[in-house]
Amino acid sequence: MEYTRKFADKLSVEQVKIELLNTAYGNGDTFLAKLDPRTLFIWYLFFGIIPWFIHDVRVLIGMCLFMMVTTYMAKISPLIIFILCLGLLGQGGYLLVVSLFFGGNWTTMLPLLVLTVKLSTISLASISVFCSMNPDKLSDGLLKIKVPGQVSFSIAYGYRMLPTLIEEYHHVFQSFRLRGKTPEKHGFLYIRSIAYFVKIAMLSFYPLLLSTAKSARTTVEALETKGSMYGFNHPEVKKLKLASLKMKRQDYLFLLGSAIYVIALFILL
Amino acid sequence: MTSQIEIKNVTFQYPGAEHPVLNNINLSIEKGDFIAILGGNGSGKSTMCKLLNGLIPHYYVGDMSGEVTVNGYKTTDYKVADLSKHVGYVYQDFENQIVSPRVLEDASFAPLHYGLPDFHERGLQALKLVGLEEQKDAFIWQLSGGQKHLLALASVLSLNPDIIIIDEPVAQLDPHHAKDIYDILTELNEVHDKTIIVIEHHTEFVASYAKKVVLMDQGTIHFSLPVTEALNQVDTLLAHQIYPPQVTQVARETGMDGKLPVTLEEGLTHFSTAEPKESTYISSREQKQAIVSYEDVDFAYKTITREKKQVLHEIDCTIHEGDYIALVGNNGAGKSSFMRLMTGLVKAATGEVTVDGENTRDVPPEYLAEKVTYIHQNPEQMFIEDCVEKDVAFFMKSRKVKDYQTKVDKLLKQFELTELADRDSRLLSGGQQRRASLAIGVGMNPEIMLLDEPTANLDIATRKHITKLLDDLKRQLKAVVIATHDMQLASEFANRIIVMHEGRIIHDGDRVSVFQNYRLLEKAGLMPPQVFSLTKSLGWEEPAYTVQEFIERYQREEVDNGVYA
Repeated sequence: MEYTRKFADKLSVEQVKIELLNTAYGNGDTFLAKLDPRTLFIWYLFFGIIPWFIHDVRVLIGMCLFMMVTTYMAKISPLIIFILCLGLLGQGGYLLVVSLFFGGNWTTMLPLLVLTVKLSTISLASISVFCSMNPDKLSDGLLKIKVPGQVSFSIAYGYRMLPTLIEEYHHVFQSFRLRGKTPEKHGFLYIRSIAYFVKIAMLSFYPLLLSTAKSARTTVEALETKGSMYGFNHPEVKKLKLASLKMKRQDYLFLLGSAIYVIALFILL
Repeated sequence: MTSQIEIKNVTFQYPGAEHPVLNNINLSIEKGDFIAILGGNGSGKSTMCKLLNGLIPHYYVGDMSGEVTVNGYKTTDYKVADLSKHVGYVYQDFENQIVSPRVLEDASFAPLHYGLPDFHERGLQALKLVGLEEQKDAFIWQLSGGQKHLLALASVLSLNPDIIIIDEPVAQLDPHHAKDIYDILTELNEVHDKTIIVIEHHTEFVASYAKKVVLMDQGTIHFSLPVTEALNQVDTLLAHQIYPPQVTQVARETGMDGKLPVTLEEGLTHFSTAEPKESTYISSREQKQAIVSYEDVDFAYKTITREKKQVLHEIDCTIHEGDYIALVGNNGAGKSSFMRLMTGLVKAATGEVTVDGENTRDVPPEYLAEKVTYIHQNPEQMFIEDCVEKDVAFFMKSRKVKDYQTKVDKLLKQFELTELADRDSRLLSGGQQRRASLAIGVGMNPEIMLLDEPTANLDIATRKHITKLLDDLKRQLKAVVIATHDMQLASEFANRIIVMHEGRIIHDGDRVSVFQNYRLLEKAGLMPPQVFSLTKSLGWEEPAYTVQEFIERYQREEVDNGVYA
């Protein structure tokens, strides 16, 4: 009981909100976060795609190590890393069990390991890049590479709404708890209690949708008066908005350094 | 002098509505005026304001006739974008008006999107005007409710509009923050020569700050008069369910002739300083059985920056049967946390909170719900079903209460909700929502009821109704705790007042010990009821706390001197 409560404390809605917000906005002072979004896009274009086409295990491991360094530099929230590891282990482990079960042997391991390394490299690259850009930076970057204003604004605005939505959800969830009734007994392996919580966790979404729909009306009106439509249709607004984006020396150095490292991997290994 | 705003013969009907919301309205407003719009819920106040920035008819396509001119621009000929530079609008639900994650970004959002190169400076300037420049880099979710309101104001100020409309600016604020926002509006009005339009229920603020009053009723303008004259029309105001300031009420009730006072200062010169009759108020508290006890309780929560923020410090407190407690103090003093500890939704960091002998740490909120009911400040957060009836029934249904339908019907009747039974609670008016939330609470048949700001956001008629319901509830409940900024409610309803400040209980007494303690009021940021301040200034040894009490005890000098005897 004591342990379940401790675990539940860690897993509260509040905690999830804090982690999410920190992931989105909390990493503003790392080296990666200070780079221009375009640099990060280019960098990601390479490390997100190229590993698929590389079969040399040593090169892959080298790249993976590099990604680990960037992930460390980006100061990623432990929760994200935990979820990632869970995913990778689950995926790899499942394939391993299946292959052993259907007559594969330890030699099947190697290609599976290669796949896992590839996946890790790409996932780590994604995490380093997207956790280093807060939603506003991401949205400005997208705008710069000619994605329509509505799309890039939606991303920034979506994140701005996130804490509000979670808070609203939390309220509804608590209202269910304040009026509902827990099962008399926990049941085998807490099955009844778990079922009860899963049920209210799902039911809580309905009132959330209704109340959000209502409050969105004010937001849409406010956006209208704040000139967001005007902004989307006038190129000079875009220019004004992106004036602060600039490729600096550190951007070029970072790209150059990454390129040298990859070339070195191919030559030396 | 030509008027800045000219509304001529305007009628407007929302699509699908049966009656027009605005019915042949005529109004002109001069530049530099400070207007308060009064009127009951649903009288068309907000709709009229939306005419001014062109949201009607450009955004809401309903049937509109007549003409609106703002700064010489006919609103039908110009877009919302053009008109927004002249008219700024701060909504009642201002939180939904904030669109960027950081304070400065939101303040400069409008000028940036209208392509003004000095958007950054404009944002900063606007923040400075409302006193938020220190928070410019903060995230909006780090701001308090009052600060968010100021930010919403700054965001419209950044376009430097001549006209500012603000819908119920103080509904959720404690008296000191409320005064702050009105002082800012006054500065904008006097120093920066802006026209200010507020929609306001609190006539005491109207009397002190506004220059002119517009009274609306069912889509028409009943009158538009200078403030003193307007508030002197006591009968008309009462007929429209608006309560004039307490000073005006008592002046009228004690039979004063001529011009009635509308502010405290005016009141002082109007009333005689004769000794009042003795107070008959006796504190009726007898110590009965304890129901809830707090022993050395600390409470903290984690903030976004993963730091712990301590909201309650060393709370020791016992709630007895028969206690009707008003919990008062500034926004952020810890009132809500104090109450939520009793529900079991949050647990104390150290110390014990016991309800009926049961430690709240050991039992789930579902269990405590049978003894303690918590009514949210915002009723919408309590609605979990799709109609009023189901919401009221939810608790009883989940506990398989026999014959619950009869009980639900009875509750719906008690709270005058029978006709609204199958409406979605979220779409009801503020007063109806509040009644629904009370019905839900009473339906849980608790021993103690906790209410968070039950009279905020209500027009005065609804407020009166709710206070009456609360008074009736005293008989059904063992104890009641109300967290409130409404000192009239506190002095009428409560037999015990607990004052909180920065997470500590700094006083635990009744209305006499609280309101007579000048230092305490100062420290906790409380403002006593106007009638109390009036009698205090008149030199009453035992001041009056309610309008009723004043009328009973006030005697004119003449009577004393035997002129009429």
